[in-house]
Amino acid sequence: MSSTENRRLHKADSLTEPMRLVRTQTRRHFLSAGGLGIGAMALSCLASGQASAAGGSAVTGGDGPLAPKPPMLAPRAKRVIYLHMAGSPSQLELFDHKPELEQLHMQDAPPSFLEGKRFAFIKGVPKILAGQFGFDRYGQSGQTISELLPHFAAVADRACVIRTVHTDQFNHAPAQLFTHTGSPRLGNPSLGSWVTYGLGSENENLPGFVVLLSGGKTPDAGKSLWGSGFLPGVYQGVQCRTSGDPVLYLGDPAGIDRGLRRRMLDAVAEMNDAEQRISGDPETFTRIAQYELAFRMQMAVPEVMDISQEPQHVLDLYGAQPGFVSPAEAADDPRTLYRGDDPTFANNCLLARRLIENGVRFVQLYDWGWDHHGSSPGESIDETLPIKCQQIDRAVAGLLTDLEQRGLLDETLVVWGGEFGRTPMMQNNVRSELKAGFIGRDHHPYAFTIWMAGGGVRPGLAYGKTDEFGYYPVENPVSIRDLQATILHTLGLDPHRFHFRYQGLDQRLIGPTDEGRVLDDLLA
Amino acid sequence: MPRLAACRIAWVLVFCSPSTLIDQAAANDGQPTTGPIEFSRDVLPILSAHCFACHGPDEGERQADLRLDLESGAKGAADVTGVVVEGDPAASRLIERITSDDASDVMPPPDFNRQLEPAQIDTLRRWVVEGAKWQRHWAFEPVIRPAGSIDDWVRADLANRGLQPAPPASPHTLARRLSLDLIGLPPTPAMAAALAADPSPPAYERFVDDLLSRPEFGEHWARMWLDLARYADTKGYEKDRGRTIWPYRDWVVEAFNSDMPLHRFTIDQLAGDLLPDPTPDQLVATAFHRNTMSNDEGGTDDEEFRVAAVKDRVNTTVQVWMGLTMGCAQCHTHKYDPISIEDYYRFYAIFNQTADADRSDDEPRMKLVTVASAQPTKPEDKAEQPQDDADAGVVRLPVMRELPDEQRRESRIHNRGNFLDQGDPVEPAVLAAFRSESDLNSAADSVDRLDVAKWLVSQDNPLTPRVWANRVWARLFGRGLVETEEDFGTLGSPPTHRELLDLLAADYRDGGWSLKRLLKTIVTSETYRQSSHVDEETLRLDPANHWLSRAPRYRLSGETLRDQALAVAGLLSNKQGGPPVMPPQPAGLWRSTYSGEQWVDADGEDRFRRGLYTYLKRTTPYPAMIAFDGGSGEVCLIRRVRTNTPLQALVTLNDPVFLEAAAALAKRMITEASDNDDRSRARYGLRLALVRPLRDGELAPLLRFKDDALNRFEATPESAAALIDSLPAAISRFSGETVPPAEFAAWVVVASAILNLDEFLTRN
Repeated sequence: MSSTENRRLHKADSLTEPMRLVRTQTRRHFLSAGGLGIGAMALSCLASGQASAAGGSAVTGGDGPLAPKPPMLAPRAKRVIYLHMAGSPSQLELFDHKPELEQLHMQDAPPSFLEGKRFAFIKGVPKILAGQFGFDRYGQSGQTISELLPHFAAVADRACVIRTVHTDQFNHAPAQLFTHTGSPRLGNPSLGSWVTYGLGSENENLPGFVVLLSGGKTPDAGKSLWGSGFLPGVYQGVQCRTSGDPVLYLGDPAGIDRGLRRRMLDAVAEMNDAEQRISGDPETFTRIAQYELAFRMQMAVPEVMDISQEPQHVLDLYGAQPGFVSPAEAADDPRTLYRGDDPTFANNCLLARRLIENGVRFVQLYDWGWDHHGSSPGESIDETLPIKCQQIDRAVAGLLTDLEQRGLLDETLVVWGGEFGRTPMMQNNVRSELKAGFIGRDHHPYAFTIWMAGGGVRPGLAYGKTDEFGYYPVENPVSIRDLQATILHTLGLDPHRFHFRYQGLDQRLIGPTDEGRVLDDLLA
Repeated sequence: MPRLAACRIAWVLVFCSPSTLIDQAAANDGQPTTGPIEFSRDVLPILSAHCFACHGPDEGERQADLRLDLESGAKGAADVTGVVVEGDPAASRLIERITSDDASDVMPPPDFNRQLEPAQIDTLRRWVVEGAKWQRHWAFEPVIRPAGSIDDWVRADLANRGLQPAPPASPHTLARRLSLDLIGLPPTPAMAAALAADPSPPAYERFVDDLLSRPEFGEHWARMWLDLARYADTKGYEKDRGRTIWPYRDWVVEAFNSDMPLHRFTIDQLAGDLLPDPTPDQLVATAFHRNTMSNDEGGTDDEEFRVAAVKDRVNTTVQVWMGLTMGCAQCHTHKYDPISIEDYYRFYAIFNQTADADRSDDEPRMKLVTVASAQPTKPEDKAEQPQDDADAGVVRLPVMRELPDEQRRESRIHNRGNFLDQGDPVEPAVLAAFRSESDLNSAADSVDRLDVAKWLVSQDNPLTPRVWANRVWARLFGRGLVETEEDFGTLGSPPTHRELLDLLAADYRDGGWSLKRLLKTIVTSETYRQSSHVDEETLRLDPANHWLSRAPRYRLSGETLRDQALAVAGLLSNKQGGPPVMPPQPAGLWRSTYSGEQWVDADGEDRFRRGLYTYLKRTTPYPAMIAFDGGSGEVCLIRRVRTNTPLQALVTLNDPVFLEAAAALAKRMITEASDNDDRSRARYGLRLALVRPLRDGELAPLLRFKDDALNRFEATPESAAALIDSLPAAISRFSGETVPPAEFAAWVVVASAILNLDEFLTRN
């Protein structure tokens, strides 16, 4: 038995029962399909590297671009779930407790806060704004967590909370791009693309890099956030949707059932095979395999996306509700329709676990609606932030608990954060007095909080300290590049050597300079 | 066409010895085992990749005050021992250090991520032994036309490696290949039949001329250019609002159709506004550099994004015309190519004088009156009121406009690329390493975009003709003679056929920069006309077809796949130009933040326009195009790296656009086939798609599938009804009137099978 076959068998063992059934049925069908099975043969041919030896571009298996690849270093994590709160939640209400702000509440910000600074919206001299919610210490580690995140507080011992992340960007789209692609401009590969390029995928029937959205809007920088940039398109993130086709064009057209589609692909494969005998082009086998994989993906994706298969206690753990379609999804401005019990994000967290469990390498969640300026309805610190926290709190805690119970947390890195933080000053461009439902903070790139859990990071660690106003880091500042370097490192990808040759250069996620450091202090 | 005389090939071999070059190119890091070392081919790539990072042009990173990118640095007279001593490896410290056993002494240092291979060390040593002759990087040397033809150069290499050229492809295959390559559409059966009836060289030439003269030619080649021009119908970033810039796209189509020479194509786009008395078209052309993104996100610093747009123009200009990567030099002096950070900002200073400033209204714009009667668009005073623009067919197109003298900006070096950290002021200038004597003589303060444009297409610019000829070759052969189309610098891949590239480059430049002429030269060559069939022995010797032992066979682009399916189905609209259109895409894709703009599926003709006209939203590109490696228009895309993924199969199987095409093809098969039997219908459909005559037995799988499908649809009439009901009324109405629903449904899935055949998806 070849090592490839070995690996494939091993992979089958890790499939859920329904997934294994799908695969067995598919194989049985090949064996019974009039002795044809060309598609299956093409697949195995590719898996053993025969066809792609001729400069072909097989998709998975063998030397294909999505075949699993050994990491460069001993990995601590095998896969990633990245939870991005698009808009950027306030660290001063959630993680970075600053009693000093209460003493200066509604006083003019000192000149040192303003000189030489560029703000997105703040004009003139803004007032200091006290933290709007209470904090307490939780767990054995004594992590300081907001009253808005009670469920997370209960699992805080599992997380490594970094309160001193800083970024170069103070507008959403560039800052999101910088966080996820290493460049504030469009056109570079995203973290998920890099990781999938570096490690391949462990399930050939599912995309290697999956993106799930909630909050009613695409994140500010759009699909560029999961684009493959200069990496081959096969590494781009695939957005899976919870309504409509889970993957675009996944469903067979009306009136065409699986049996008919199977017959059609068999006919196409037979004709392709005949053509290959004449042209001699091994790429034709790649084509046949490509259709075979598409056929399997059509079954595997809906299967894995169907959270109704989960038992009630697991749904409850996340607060998930199968089949729920949020009214916010169709609204032009979803923010005023947000409700704390909206389970869309919870459903996505549960989906993330199912995808990870089935070998997807990188699952990226974006939850939109965290941009709490307080200048229009549905975007305030005092009213909207608590609702958004309710939407995610149980789900995030449930995800960590569920992963741990399944023994997956050790090898799955979970990251939570926004693209920057929020100012200690109240935003003042619309009104400078306190008004319920309109209390907000502007964008703050100098210090904010991101936490990581699982995947070989130190649980219960509180890393970095900010000054008494939460304005700047005073201890252990962490740049976005440090964070990217550390994430790659946990996956066994040396951030300094891991590259892709493009435009004559060894392009890297962490950029051309070596300022991004692996943060050894964070590693377990 | 007669085979070349053997003596001609021998001549080429004896005097030019192109084969060793190609050995090196194919292996990239491998080395020639015979023949003298050639610096630019064998040595410079090693020095560049392994030494320049610390001993190259970048002063900031330079170690030990040693630079190996200059002969004077490597052989510096002041150094008695000498880093490189001609003819004496023992005295050359370069050789001593790269062969040292001492980890603290050896070069490159052990922690450097690009270590030398033994063969590379051997090459460096042999180079020193042979006298350490110095040359410029090959691509920076002047383009001098070599003797011989395309076929001479290709065949010389083939013969040298024991390979034969493939026999000519059949006329039907050539008809399809030419048509897809030149106009991006399949030939009609009648066109292919005509070429088959008379495949003589004059008839073949007429066939080519006919394609080159069709209006669809410009549409196809415009797509190539629009990738480079980072054309899109929106502005990018968070709001990603619409931008009216399609008149520029139409200008590009017309420029290709009229075979506008490259020097004019260049000058008009880069500096049309600086010409004396520019025509409206010349102003429209300048929208080329208004394809940069602008950021309407609230709270952004407009200056930051204005600067980003100017840098994009700088990078795109140099990349597109000269194949050099300027991007690195915006933060530090280029480590591998002769572009310093000062060069960068001097070049930037030229582009930093336009009036656009990341404004949400995209000003400056020119007013165009577009009239349905195809009269030329004409500019009017932009001060007029814009209220009734839409009714009057008025559009406002972003264009380049130079600032008046009193508002000109001072340009400074941006330290580490940061526009908030500005250093010394700089005067505008083109790149020093590529300035000719005449450029140097002109006063620095007079350098503007017009000078840049003229410099790019001047007779002595070594890069522009090579980069362009390579680009054209790549569009026809699936891969450039220099594979890294985007990088002709010292780190780019070396050409597989250097003399052939220079031949094409010189031909293009000296032939009046005519693209159509260049295309005709290439497509009438025997190399182009080879069959794509390959036997096992050839596959073993030339697995990736580097040596052109056969015609390439590759998957068509997303646009061509769409256009081809619609054309074969008889649905394709031949309407040219105008605003972008919205063919069906899955609902709910456009969910941009704070933008109320909606995708509304087009009805009627606009549903079936060529892919070129599909609305391109940067943050949410049309999914069927992006699945096939199409660009998003965010940044200049020099080449699309082709991938094959299961998601592509899902598009051609399940996208309603392709299903609709299948249904229309089914209707043609039923109504247009010579007879009403299954065999005639299947044959007709397959021939429409594949163009070539069918082989014995080829229909059998299709007919079996048709029977199978018919049985299934007859057994479950509700399935047939569901399929037919999902189609537009114009097609679904047909079923029932002419054939029973189950019969029609069966033909629809048969047609869909045809549209998913590898041969149909492939250019061969």
